[in-house]
Amino acid sequence: MKLRLKITKDKSIRFISHLEYVRTIERAIRRAKLPAAYSEGFNPHLKFSLASALGVGVVSYAEFCEIEMAEPMMAEEAVEKMQKALPRGIRILAADVTATNAPALMSEAGGADYRVTLPYDKPVDAAVQAFNAAESIVYAKAAPKAKTKVKEIDVKFFIPHIEAQQQDGELVLTFSCRITPNGSMKAVDLINTLNQQYNLNLPAEKADIERLDLYKYDLRGNKQPMLGEDMVVVGN
Amino acid sequence: MNKDLTIDILSSVSKPARYTGDEFGSIVKTPEETEVSIALAFPDVYEIGMSYLGFKILYHIVNKQQGLAAERVCAPWTDMEAQMRGHDIPLRSLETDKVLRDFDFVGFTLQYELSYSNILNMLDLGKVPVLAAERGDNDPFVVVGGPCVYNPEPLADVFDLAVIGEGEEVLVELLNAYRDWKKAGRPGGRRGFLERAVAIKGIYAPSFYNVEYNDDNTVKEVVPVYDGVPKTIEKRVIADLNDVDFPTAPVVPFGEIVHDRIMLEVFRGCTRGCRFCHAGMVYRPVRERHPEVLKALARQLVDNTGYNEISLVSLSTADYTCLAPMIHDMIAEFKDERVSVSLPSLRIDSFSVDLAKEVQAVRKSGLTFAPEAGSQRMRDVINKGVTEEDLMNAVSAAFKSGWSSVKLYFMIGLPGETDEDVLAIADLAKKVQWKYREITGKGGCKVTVSASSFVPKPYTPFQWSAQNSMDELRRKQYLLKDALKVKNITFQYHDPETSIMEAVFARGDRRLGKALYLAWQRGAKFDGWSEQFDYERWLHALADCGLDKDFYIARERGENEVFPWEHIQPAVSRAFLRNEYKKAQRGELTHDCRRGSCTGCGVCQKLGVEVKVEG
Repeated sequence: MKLRLKITKDKSIRFISHLEYVRTIERAIRRAKLPAAYSEGFNPHLKFSLASALGVGVVSYAEFCEIEMAEPMMAEEAVEKMQKALPRGIRILAADVTATNAPALMSEAGGADYRVTLPYDKPVDAAVQAFNAAESIVYAKAAPKAKTKVKEIDVKFFIPHIEAQQQDGELVLTFSCRITPNGSMKAVDLINTLNQQYNLNLPAEKADIERLDLYKYDLRGNKQPMLGEDMVVVGN
Repeated sequence: MNKDLTIDILSSVSKPARYTGDEFGSIVKTPEETEVSIALAFPDVYEIGMSYLGFKILYHIVNKQQGLAAERVCAPWTDMEAQMRGHDIPLRSLETDKVLRDFDFVGFTLQYELSYSNILNMLDLGKVPVLAAERGDNDPFVVVGGPCVYNPEPLADVFDLAVIGEGEEVLVELLNAYRDWKKAGRPGGRRGFLERAVAIKGIYAPSFYNVEYNDDNTVKEVVPVYDGVPKTIEKRVIADLNDVDFPTAPVVPFGEIVHDRIMLEVFRGCTRGCRFCHAGMVYRPVRERHPEVLKALARQLVDNTGYNEISLVSLSTADYTCLAPMIHDMIAEFKDERVSVSLPSLRIDSFSVDLAKEVQAVRKSGLTFAPEAGSQRMRDVINKGVTEEDLMNAVSAAFKSGWSSVKLYFMIGLPGETDEDVLAIADLAKKVQWKYREITGKGGCKVTVSASSFVPKPYTPFQWSAQNSMDELRRKQYLLKDALKVKNITFQYHDPETSIMEAVFARGDRRLGKALYLAWQRGAKFDGWSEQFDYERWLHALADCGLDKDFYIARERGENEVFPWEHIQPAVSRAFLRNEYKKAQRGELTHDCRRGSCTGCGVCQKLGVEVKVEG
């Protein structure tokens, strides 16, 4: 049996790294004394995984953690125990249980919703309209660790449409970003794309990036929650 | 979380989670719940500060009390400091985002002399006047404690109060005295509180003492400025560790820290009597916790932290009377939970190796032993009480159990050391390699030799001795380096400059405060990090204050010379230390009083406590 949790990475802990987030969950599982499965071998480790590696500094209200259980347990009970064992910045929003051999959640993820807030008081409407109307926008992304190599991505494939709101010197962008088995694109690269393509001067380093949700698509192309219909919802 | 630390600032520094707090187990009290607040300030980075057991203990003890709040703050690394100074962002606590200036107390631990510059820097970043004399009614009291507090004089210009000895009881007494003083309308202002504070046993206020000097610059006398102040301040100790609270739900950091495991304190004190060892002299007497108490604490710690390793810590854990049966019990209890037990250090005998084998059933990382000196003569001088045979037995047991790498710790520059003694270190390392071939029939045994430069510390029998000069230390390092050019032997050593400056501040007096202040103003910080340490800066600061480092470190001190630290009392008698010094010169040993008779250090009698073993 597999326990699946929808959890947050709240603002107060947004700067812990992915590895630190993983270690934190692992220790929480131990504190909660969930009957989690361990790997065999000399150096046994907990069998659990996180659905995606979030960038340092990005807040998320839709992280997914899958824990393989050695013994069955009700989702409600597991949630109660886990929540007490998690630090304040990680809240459980929903949970379900499924078969151990069910596909990994990440392989099913089809898209994520983001909200990006940054200080900006100059007009952006024309840029946003042009972005939304464009067929394709190629962005040259420096590959990590190899500074000479660049990877070209079509931003419009990942992010077909953005919405912008401006108030009190603040710009709020909301959009959906496609996730494929071969990867996705980072929210900060959308900011870089807008700056490059439309001569904006958005301060990417000040961008407050929040992942609002993560979901899969059904055969008709409709958004579906990651967890099953019988999931226990405990927060939002 | 510090709200001044905006996204762009945190994104630009290394390890930003050092500054954002909110870890599991952190305790955040509301302003209504907080009558008296103390910032436990660690003068180095978060990963080191969070590994310090003393602060885990005090955080727990203080926060358990209604109305008292302890919060944490560590030194920002240089990249973060540049951001803070650039944007005029003050240093704040991890718990409630409070600027240091707004605490009632800022408490620093003195772990290491080369962290003193960070204390000045943190006060400055926290908007607290760096010099005690410049603090006013709205500023916090700066209080210090920890091992270096037995000579706090180089910092006397900076702190208001020092807590001498173990803090569990006295810190709460101090904070309660503050609460009473505040409720009474702060009678007498700052000085009024200092007067109340020094009425508590174990509290020292440097401003209540004048230091008089002789013509030769040595200390003549340390004189209290008024009658009510005690002439000497004796350390506080916990008589029975079974009665004192130990933190069972410590903060669990997100990131990897230096000691990323449960630290369970097995006992305090060590009476092996190694003559170079400051901790062995100032933390007496030995007081063991009962094994049942320890097992209960281990249970709670595992439940509350989720760590998978319990480190049994003390000054010499292999000496714990009930060690083997207790380890067996712990291994049995925690096996199914995949929690291992570990020993931070090993005694040089096969008993320790057998235990190490048991606790490290899987990971065969190298074993570490500390013979401290290469020749038997030198080991007798320092009262190490270990023979070459002991070491050979220990490494034999290790090699038979499958280990193939050994790390050996030594000191060079010990009092009375000759070149032969230094070269004996190389011989010993080679004999360990030969022993491996003898036992396994194979070569390839890796030996790492680490040699640190000896610093004669206050309140040790070697407090009278001079430190080797820098040239001499360097010459000995090269001598040893040449002798260790052997396949599979690695030699590790550090530049002696840091040991020289460590000695100056370990052995110095109040006059050094000016040089410390000057060096800090000229940019000194993180001096314990070799890439930040600038020896020339310290030499210039000393010279510009008319001070000579050699006065503090390069001369044998007179038998009757008054030391700058003598009004601070760890209770070990001067006559005992002097006798140990004489015995060192004759190469005579002194036994361990934990199992043998009293050796007359005077601590138990003076403090009204006794050696407490549970076996």
